[in-house]
Amino acid sequence: MPMDTKILIATAIFVTVYGFLIWDRFDRAIISVLGAGGLLFLGIITQEEAIEGIDFNTLGLLVGMMAIVSICQKTGMFQYLAIRSAKFARGEPMLIMIYLSIVTAVLSALLDNVTTVLLIAPITLLITDALKVTPYPFLFSQILASNIGGAATLIGDPPNIMIGSSQKFTFMDFVVNVAPIMPLILVVTLLILKMLYKKELAASKELKLKIMEFREEEAIEDPVLLKKSLIVLSLVVVGFLLHGVFPVEPATTALTGAAILMLISGEELHNIMGRVEWSTIFFFLGLFVLVHGLVEVGLISMIAEKILSLTGGNIATTAYLTLWLSGILSAFVDNIPFVATMIPLIEHMETYMGGKEVVMPVWWALSIGACLGGNGSLIGASANVIIAGFAARSGYPIGFVRFMKVGLPLTILSLLISHIYLYFRYLS
Amino acid sequence: MIAANVMTTDTITLTEHNTVGDAINVLAENKIRQVPVVDRENRVLGVMTARSVIVALLPAYITKGYLKDVRFAPEPKDFVEKMEEMKTIPLGEFLRNRTDTMADEYVCVSPDTSTMELAAIFINRERRVERILVVDNNQRLLGIISPIDVFKKLWKQST
Repeated sequence: MPMDTKILIATAIFVTVYGFLIWDRFDRAIISVLGAGGLLFLGIITQEEAIEGIDFNTLGLLVGMMAIVSICQKTGMFQYLAIRSAKFARGEPMLIMIYLSIVTAVLSALLDNVTTVLLIAPITLLITDALKVTPYPFLFSQILASNIGGAATLIGDPPNIMIGSSQKFTFMDFVVNVAPIMPLILVVTLLILKMLYKKELAASKELKLKIMEFREEEAIEDPVLLKKSLIVLSLVVVGFLLHGVFPVEPATTALTGAAILMLISGEELHNIMGRVEWSTIFFFLGLFVLVHGLVEVGLISMIAEKILSLTGGNIATTAYLTLWLSGILSAFVDNIPFVATMIPLIEHMETYMGGKEVVMPVWWALSIGACLGGNGSLIGASANVIIAGFAARSGYPIGFVRFMKVGLPLTILSLLISHIYLYFRYLS
Repeated sequence: MIAANVMTTDTITLTEHNTVGDAINVLAENKIRQVPVVDRENRVLGVMTARSVIVALLPAYITKGYLKDVRFAPEPKDFVEKMEEMKTIPLGEFLRNRTDTMADEYVCVSPDTSTMELAAIFINRERRVERILVVDNNQRLLGIISPIDVFKKLWKQST
């Protein structure tokens, strides 16, 4: 088959897959695996090339962390932390909103965003019901905080896992390069939310006292399992931090940790395995093959050359363009396929722009943009979609526009802060 | 044997204009687990059970399983007040507005349904049906069947 035809077919399949992903009518895992199958059956790429395109480190890291979280969530530690924050705030609604957001951000940085918000949100409604205040500011701030927190670490959000894995960035690389800006963005976000919701969040003294009657220690369902989970979780994080000491990928650390926790927790293995989100894993699998198809037929290098001729290979322009493009696009389309496409694109530009070291700011721009962009709309990130569904079923529907009115301006502000950060840190 | 032979026909029913309070009273006084709600033409609108009232009292994030238990939470002050308010709601409105239909699920069958089919409905793992209503072609209530009715009839026939 001539190369031109291959490019045409690969592009057609890729665009179709993207179209279906945006249409959101069928599960994204089915679409991506079908697209990948199409590439192989039409002979656009070979079986060997397809396998080569799959980033098994990303898949392993996701499965390992999902398994660990699925055990952790049974301990009641999320509920415990949520109630502790509410009591620490002495029942003051505004402070509760702020503390719960901080807890959400920290947990999202170390664990899966979706699990974090899905476990914190029901307790939040219990608390707002007791205080007789509107839950919306709380739910909004938790969505925003989970995406900001997730942006801070290698394991916090799928885009970071993908970027880190493909570029062999360590856990510390993200801590040093991306994490420093996130607390500032979180503080600014929370201050603005505080001003925005000042009037709505007031409760009588009597109701605030009610919060102090919550018994957080009873939220711990299984103290022994909690200890085991916390020990393994700490070991895994230490393992990530010691990336340089052991010559293993983060996936190995996460999967080994998961296996240890499975061994000592005494949980039924098929229950743990059942709670791993396999549809997400298969989505990644198909996506890696699809994007590798674009690389193999030469389309990615063609686009890379076009972008280079536009930006003149200027590193600052490229970094800013990446930040804003990924930020705005990630607000409305799934950031996972976007980042999957951007990774080989940036890799191709690397050699023209002066090598790996020089291109580093572009990688951080992609990570920050793709993660923070998720806050732009209700469909920007998985945590948003999950909270929206939960809230609607609990009688508090979140309107698309209603969230965007808060989320989009705050996202633009956070991208602006990141822009300034990138400038002073790397590009000035 | 068919549903028409098994069903209880002297069923107590309520209309859409009765209140939730009436339903609770009927359930308590007659020591029954469910009471069908019918319209003027005796067509089935729904079934009231103690469970359907409890589900309506609790917040959706508890009844839908997002919070499995709330042992760590103090009892809200208005929990009892909410019960008082609910008592005056007409059943028609209550059945229309409820969000969780699993709480009082029932199955309607025709009078010629076989006993084996009735038994199979009761042990269906996915639906956990506790009551079967026997209706005619126009959804008019003819009788009600609970698992014990099937059992009693089978027992009588075998001895």
